[in-house]
Amino acid sequence: MSDEPAPGEMLAAEYALGLLEGEELLAARGREASDPAFAAEVAQWQERLAPLLDEISPSTPREEVWQRIVAELEGTGSEADVISLKTRIRQWQLATGVAAAAAVAAFALLFTIPAQTTDPLPQAPLAASIPIGDTQLRLAVTYLPESEELLVSASGLTADGVHDHELWLVPQSEDTPLLSLGVVAPGEERRVQLTPAVAAEMTDGTGLVLTREPLGGKPRDADAGPVVAEGRMQKI
Amino acid sequence: MQPASREARERLKAAMKRLPGGDRQALEDIYRATSAKLFGICLRILKDEKEAEDALQDVYITLWRRADRYDPERASPISWLATFARNRAIDRLRVGKVRAGSVGEEQAAPVADKAPLADRLLIDEERDARVHTCLETLDEKPRDAIRTAFFEGRTYAQIAEEGGVPLGTMKSWVRRGLQKLKACMERGE
Repeated sequence: MSDEPAPGEMLAAEYALGLLEGEELLAARGREASDPAFAAEVAQWQERLAPLLDEISPSTPREEVWQRIVAELEGTGSEADVISLKTRIRQWQLATGVAAAAAVAAFALLFTIPAQTTDPLPQAPLAASIPIGDTQLRLAVTYLPESEELLVSASGLTADGVHDHELWLVPQSEDTPLLSLGVVAPGEERRVQLTPAVAAEMTDGTGLVLTREPLGGKPRDADAGPVVAEGRMQKI
Repeated sequence: MQPASREARERLKAAMKRLPGGDRQALEDIYRATSAKLFGICLRILKDEKEAEDALQDVYITLWRRADRYDPERASPISWLATFARNRAIDRLRVGKVRAGSVGEEQAAPVADKAPLADRLLIDEERDARVHTCLETLDEKPRDAIRTAFFEGRTYAQIAEEGGVPLGTMKSWVRRGLQKLKACMERGE
């Protein structure tokens, strides 16, 4: 049909409306993050559509919801650690995880146990199995203290051609910036030799975050991208 | 639709501006003024009270932690918050936490409409509501498809399946509808 709009032309509208999923959703999110003209188009569509939301009847939530919000902001016990981690991430001007996790869910990321870690090790290795969003998918990270090597398994991860994912170590001290553990190679198991400074930070309980970055990883003078997953190293 | 009270709108805007400074009272003021509207949106998309409560909590926590995301110069605060709540609710649908459409619409709105007055007042009279009239100018099929996508958080694949048409056909309907909607709205922008 000759009056058919070109598919690309309507992408911002389709994205704002929420019609996309999978690879298309991921591509649209990527463009929104990297292409200001596209982001403005998306925002314009959202503003255009927003008055429709007035058709939805308001419904008062239970008072408990506000109490839960207050409790989460105040934080208690282990929750406080997570919040403190999140606050530090925020200082890095990272976007929140849930939206990004939806995009990452489009990946087929399979949990695979790193092969060939059979050398006898006097020190216990550390491992983290990082869930991606609310999906069944996991990123497997293993650290071998003996050789100061990190094994990052992303065997099921498919490259989308728009993003890379970069793994970071969250140092103990709030004053130390996050330490890069390198770009996660889609479809591969990567062996990373840590520098002594990074290795020194790698202990039982060390936090890891995975961020979404442009191809090649975080540009030198840019803020890190949105956190798409986080986890902790533990003795195995 | 009742016009927004200028006072209510300005109060909300002022609270949104106080938020990046870490003003907890500002968050509570925003919550009191907007939570019924945003909860209604979450409930509509997620069709489950528990899920909608979790989404609502997530919306205000994110708002608090990422207070710098709102630009008071650009958007009306209530439109921005409503869109934000809708997007977060849809994110939850897409990560597969919720089975969309597992509950009928009637069951999905079990909470009586007891919104505080302030909420009703937050429908923004100054905002361009042209989308309502423009949507009415579309043919029935694209209009229904766009409304279902918007209000139920459905994807192309889902509305195609529900409508019993091939995906390509549904995409053509929706794209032509969006094109027409855009042209109609641009006449008023």
